[in-house]
Amino acid sequence: MTKTRLLRTLFLCPLFMLIMQQSWAQTKSVSGKVTDEKGAGVSGASVLVKGSRAGTSTDAAGSFHINVPASATTLVVSYVGYVSQEISIASVSDVTVGLVPDNTGLSEVVVIGYGTARKRDLTGAVASVQAKDFNKGVIVSPDQLLQNKVAGLDITSNGGQPGTATTVKIRGNNSLRTASNPLYVIDGVPLDGRSARPNPGSSFGSTPDENPLNFINPSDIQTIDVLKDASSEAIYGSRGANGVIAITTKTGSSGAAKLEAGISYGFNAGYMKKYDVLNETQYKSALTKYGVTGQDFGGNVDALDAILNHNVTQNYSLAFSGGNENGRFRASFLGSSAQGTLKNSSLDRYIGNFGGQYKFLDKRLTLNFDLITAHSTENILAVANNSGSTGNLISAALQWNPTQSFTDASGNFIYPQSGSNNPIAELAAFSDIASINTTLANISASYKLLPNLEYKFLYAINNSVGTRNTNLYAFLQGGIGGGIGQADISGARLTSQTFTHTLNYNTQLTQSLHLDALAGFEYWKSDYSNNSFAASGFQTNTNQFQISVPYTSNIQGANALGASAYVDPTTELQSYFGRVQLNYLDKYLLTGTFRADGSSKFGANNKYGYFPSVGARWVISNENFMKSNTALSNLSLRASWGITGNQEFPAGSAEDQYGIFSYGSGGLQNSVNPNLKWEKTTSWDIGLDFTSKNGRVYGTIDYYNKNTTDLLFQTVVIQPAPTANIFLNLPAQVSNNGIEVSLGFTLVEHKNFTWDVRGYYAYNKNLLTNFNPNLIIQTGAINGQGVSGTLGEAIANNQPVDVFYLKQFQGFDHNGNQTYAANPSFAGDPNPKSTYGISTTLTYKKVSLVLNGGGSGGFLIYNNTATSVTNIAGIANGRNISLNAYNSPEMPSSPVAANTRFLESGNFFKLRNVTLSYSVGNAGKYVKNLNIFVSGSNLFVITKFSGFDPEVNVDESSGGYPSRSMEYIPYPTSRIISAGLNFSL
Amino acid sequence: MIKNKKIITVLLAASALVSCTKLDEHLNSTYTQAQFTNVLGPNGVQTLLQLAYVDLGTPFTGQDEVFSLEENTADESLVPTRGGDWDDNGVWRVMHNHTWNADHGQILQVFNNLNKLNFDATNVLGFKPSTQQAAEARFLRALSLYYLVDLYGQFPVRNPGDNLLNAPQVYSGAAAAAFIISELNAIMNDLPADNKPSHANQTVGKVLLMKCLLNQGAWANRASPTFADADMQQVVTLGTSIMGSGAYTYEANYFHNFDVNNGNSTENIFTYVNTSGVGPNNSGTDARWMMTNHYNQYTPDNPNAGWNGFSTVSDFYNSFGVGTPMVGVTQFAAGNISGLYADSAVDGRVGEKYYPGVTNISGIKPGFMIGQMYDQNGVAEMDRKGHPLAFDPTISPDMKETGSNLEVTGIRVEKYPPDLSAGPGTYEGPSGNDLVIFRYSDVALMVAEAKLRQSAADPAGALAIVNQLRAARSAAPIASLSLVNTGNLYDVNTLLAERGRELYWESVRRTDLIRFGMFNVIWQYKPSDAATYLVFPVPNQALAANPNLKQNPGY
Repeated sequence: MTKTRLLRTLFLCPLFMLIMQQSWAQTKSVSGKVTDEKGAGVSGASVLVKGSRAGTSTDAAGSFHINVPASATTLVVSYVGYVSQEISIASVSDVTVGLVPDNTGLSEVVVIGYGTARKRDLTGAVASVQAKDFNKGVIVSPDQLLQNKVAGLDITSNGGQPGTATTVKIRGNNSLRTASNPLYVIDGVPLDGRSARPNPGSSFGSTPDENPLNFINPSDIQTIDVLKDASSEAIYGSRGANGVIAITTKTGSSGAAKLEAGISYGFNAGYMKKYDVLNETQYKSALTKYGVTGQDFGGNVDALDAILNHNVTQNYSLAFSGGNENGRFRASFLGSSAQGTLKNSSLDRYIGNFGGQYKFLDKRLTLNFDLITAHSTENILAVANNSGSTGNLISAALQWNPTQSFTDASGNFIYPQSGSNNPIAELAAFSDIASINTTLANISASYKLLPNLEYKFLYAINNSVGTRNTNLYAFLQGGIGGGIGQADISGARLTSQTFTHTLNYNTQLTQSLHLDALAGFEYWKSDYSNNSFAASGFQTNTNQFQISVPYTSNIQGANALGASAYVDPTTELQSYFGRVQLNYLDKYLLTGTFRADGSSKFGANNKYGYFPSVGARWVISNENFMKSNTALSNLSLRASWGITGNQEFPAGSAEDQYGIFSYGSGGLQNSVNPNLKWEKTTSWDIGLDFTSKNGRVYGTIDYYNKNTTDLLFQTVVIQPAPTANIFLNLPAQVSNNGIEVSLGFTLVEHKNFTWDVRGYYAYNKNLLTNFNPNLIIQTGAINGQGVSGTLGEAIANNQPVDVFYLKQFQGFDHNGNQTYAANPSFAGDPNPKSTYGISTTLTYKKVSLVLNGGGSGGFLIYNNTATSVTNIAGIANGRNISLNAYNSPEMPSSPVAANTRFLESGNFFKLRNVTLSYSVGNAGKYVKNLNIFVSGSNLFVITKFSGFDPEVNVDESSGGYPSRSMEYIPYPTSRIISAGLNFSL
Repeated sequence: MIKNKKIITVLLAASALVSCTKLDEHLNSTYTQAQFTNVLGPNGVQTLLQLAYVDLGTPFTGQDEVFSLEENTADESLVPTRGGDWDDNGVWRVMHNHTWNADHGQILQVFNNLNKLNFDATNVLGFKPSTQQAAEARFLRALSLYYLVDLYGQFPVRNPGDNLLNAPQVYSGAAAAAFIISELNAIMNDLPADNKPSHANQTVGKVLLMKCLLNQGAWANRASPTFADADMQQVVTLGTSIMGSGAYTYEANYFHNFDVNNGNSTENIFTYVNTSGVGPNNSGTDARWMMTNHYNQYTPDNPNAGWNGFSTVSDFYNSFGVGTPMVGVTQFAAGNISGLYADSAVDGRVGEKYYPGVTNISGIKPGFMIGQMYDQNGVAEMDRKGHPLAFDPTISPDMKETGSNLEVTGIRVEKYPPDLSAGPGTYEGPSGNDLVIFRYSDVALMVAEAKLRQSAADPAGALAIVNQLRAARSAAPIASLSLVNTGNLYDVNTLLAERGRELYWESVRRTDLIRFGMFNVIWQYKPSDAATYLVFPVPNQALAANPNLKQNPGY
């Protein structure tokens, strides 16, 4: 049924275009040239007739030619990064426009959901980051471009492996659910947010997910807009509450064909911060100190160094573009091999992107298309975030006795009796390769029904197919697998489709009042499936010297085979939305939006949710009484209010679901809840934007208050029941209040030397209230031998979400045993209260230096690695221990226990990147804009945290309840030095 | 302008055309209730019933489930903290020294897992089951309710098709016992008459009824249980009919009831069936030996050989009359792998003897493990520090092991001989040993107990039953028999001690100690405690969800 309806939608649109008849008034011709501050022609600048959508763009030399209605009096010329200008054409037909650079970004065009707006017209809190301001260095996924660039945007990697998913929070933690990342929208296409990397079905433990944005080539991105308040988010309705990140990719410009190329190489320069375990000398003195005998094997190895990857990260990118007045295209290609910190881990990607825009029917019809196709191959390491005492490469390296060689004289791997694994043997025995093919195709058609009325239709499909082969060879003794061999072949598919119809009406109602109105309908659908074949017990690869065919190439050779498959319930969304923007003399701006979202996930009694918002902006600097001020060129006050939703709960949660399971059984696995609906966030925001007259000081200050109710919660079911939990909308509230301050200064602006500094500071306070006071839901799994089943965090009333809930550490007794309280108590906040970022650019003639860094403060991290991997007990068994444990009064027989002793301050500052570049300019006859650079990423971190990286979010959720700021043998972060060059032809 | 209006009208009409998806959810991998019934037809009910059987696996197999609540809280098992291992936030120690509270994770998961069985069994009744299917489902529900009332003093019951968002009715005390007993009486004749241990049959139903009748006096007053004569007489009648049926006899080798081939045991009345090497939903009994074996037992390329945790206490071990001290006893000379234990007169339930298919592959001798351990070649094994792997009965008084011998303290108990059917050097799990839930000797001992408790006590009849059992176990007969010696928990001439020797580590000990009035006395590594601990607390999570549950006094 649905399919036919979709097809009908597809076919109806061209029909409309054919029945359209159009009559234009008489025209006149205008031509001209647009130049930059140095007098050079600006290619691709936009030239629009004021008050209409008619326009063109400049060619490669900066020239343009346009036919305008005879009544037109003004042209608006704009180009990204420059102040847009209005040029009178009432009496001339040939103009020269000299553009002036805009440091404030106020003229930038910002994506606001189903449309764009000038930044100066925004009534909501939207942060826009342009390509020139992106983070530099080795960038794998697009979210890395934004780290420490936007106030209130907190991006934390879930692991250091290239391409790992990130935890992204915009203005704090709204939700008690794990899936609370923002909605990503690529060129108007909302993504599903999941990845098609399959989950192996067997006992390999769970490794962090793949980043769902890996299929995007970072060098294809023009702008990333971060929508932070209800006025900007509410148009996305039930998916807007966690914020929206809108990515706009580059398009071609008219003019001569242009080719841009870039090459870079990156070198792993060791750990950003090494975990301090004992070296050989310290280890020997520890053996003496604790009276341990028989554990000095006379060698001297550094296991952490031995597993470091020394392969070179390579990036090759190529883009060519071109076009004319009626059409333009851009094609790009990326070949990239990102090497992980540790051996056998990498992410290879090949991404092609082809997009264009063509105009027909006297430019009344515009066709846009974009096709991204990406292939990635990930080599994943055994760094499961839920492994016990064995089975993680990092723990094997941390625990390795530094006096013991990895192999004996004949090259046989040594498997010690200490309970630790041989990390080198694990590297040789384990392989886990995931390949994902992703396509994102979209096509849209816009038709100007009237000069000020435009209809647009968009269809997009995002299809991602993944396969994953996991092998653990039988020769490996100990740890996961245990001498029998294990393998798993798994596959996954994720397909989402979008149909959007919008109608945009744009008119000058009176001489002083402008109206921009939008109405739309959207249908979105997503399907996900996963399957896996798990096998164990193999006859081959039982000898480390005789390794041949991988098990996954011959899985039928196993003794035991198991298969599993599932298809998630289809998610369908059907939405109606509208927006009205009023602008009175550029002084008073008002935006109202409304969205009605219907979702197949919602219970029968709540199929539709309604999400309104209003926002207003008062441009004080345009008031007459401000005309005489000499200090400020822009001063405006914003305020917004609105309701947004979050529907990130598993599809099918509102329905009775019966499952058929193995072993001949079947039954109810989810019970109906007809009232289940979206989570609702009501928020308001007050903001102030200002720019000094000379444009050298600018800033934004926002205060916001978000209150999330109807919390989607996987709560304790009333027993007897088929499951332990059930999804409900809890009457509790999560509040997030905060302040964001962003400031920019141009400290020096000289012909040969410029110096810019930008930074932000954001403070957020998170609290859960009106929660059942008798209920403390524990989460935050603490893993390892001696702490099985222990949980370290809690969801509890009048506490921040995921508050630490641990036994208070009370010191050591006279025997060197740690002592601690009998019962747990609330022990601190894992959510950063403050985040900040700073970046600066110094340019001297052709040399420029960019530094950027940032950090977080006011939160704690639980160091589970110290609790159970590098604890003092290890030394008695011949394992290595941490320097902290060695320096403590603790004795090796002290019981392993989780308590507040392992809570550490998470405060940190990280220098993310320093890039020094030299702009050679044109070289020879053909090479233009040659730029060479050398760049260092993750150069240092200042922190008291003793783990690998304080910026850590290892997923230690328990029973579906998320965790925050838990460190457990994470994949470490490396320091990378890269160098490369860019040029165009 | 007319033209424009036309355009807008057409557009609006178009958007109406495309906007009528009903947003019905397509489940894809799962079924609606109607689909489930249609797709599976009559088999659907059997599938639902099978789910209830599968639900037995989790609560009864895991070392941290019913086993922990029944055995670690009693005098037969404890889990000392061993330096870096097994502290687990103290969860094991509080079980043994009776200081648990309503937030204890094991107490919560047992409550939830038993209630899943309660739910899935009830759910069968809403799908028009056959008479036998309904009887089996009601039996499985009664089994879960029996454990719930025994452990928590109360249980919730739903009707088939109830809305899960509503709090169900809760039964406690006499009403709870009456509910289970009336259910069992109602279904008894509808259960199959065969004696297959893999599913509920009339014998299985009778055994559960016997347990209810025997224990309901304890549920009514745990501090001072009473026993109605009519109940005791009915226990004797039910038990005698089972004993007289000839369907069950004692096995020559006690450990055959638990080994990988125990599917053909003549003593097992009700079991949870496992199959070697079959993974999904086959929980296996691996944990039963891994939880107690040392890390190095069996083979270095099998890391799952042992977790080095659970032990028993020497007072209990000594109740077999093996003689003390046991430390340093050489069970067989080095190299003499097949040599039998020297003292063949020792109670066969102690084990420590060569077991074919296990000892010749791993060196392990099922039963109690004490003193030096040997591998399959008769070579003495070492612990991870290179010291002799010699299990030492002495456990630290605070159950926190320190010092260089922390890996070897505590007598180990391997009731289930490991499944090594895949041969030497490999272990593929899960194991094929069926998990024993009801066993014939329990029936015999319950009859003996009822004979002692009925108004017209029959000590001679009870003694005959016990000595018959002891003879089957190669243990010397005892001269007289009383229920319990309150001054000596392990008095060899008591029924409570005999139940310990026969049914140790079979998840009945806490219930027995309460029924015999001995749960609050002091035993090894356990101080005196309050009557509060005679029943577990209702988990705080469950209490917060269902206002009809009432917290037990003292918590």
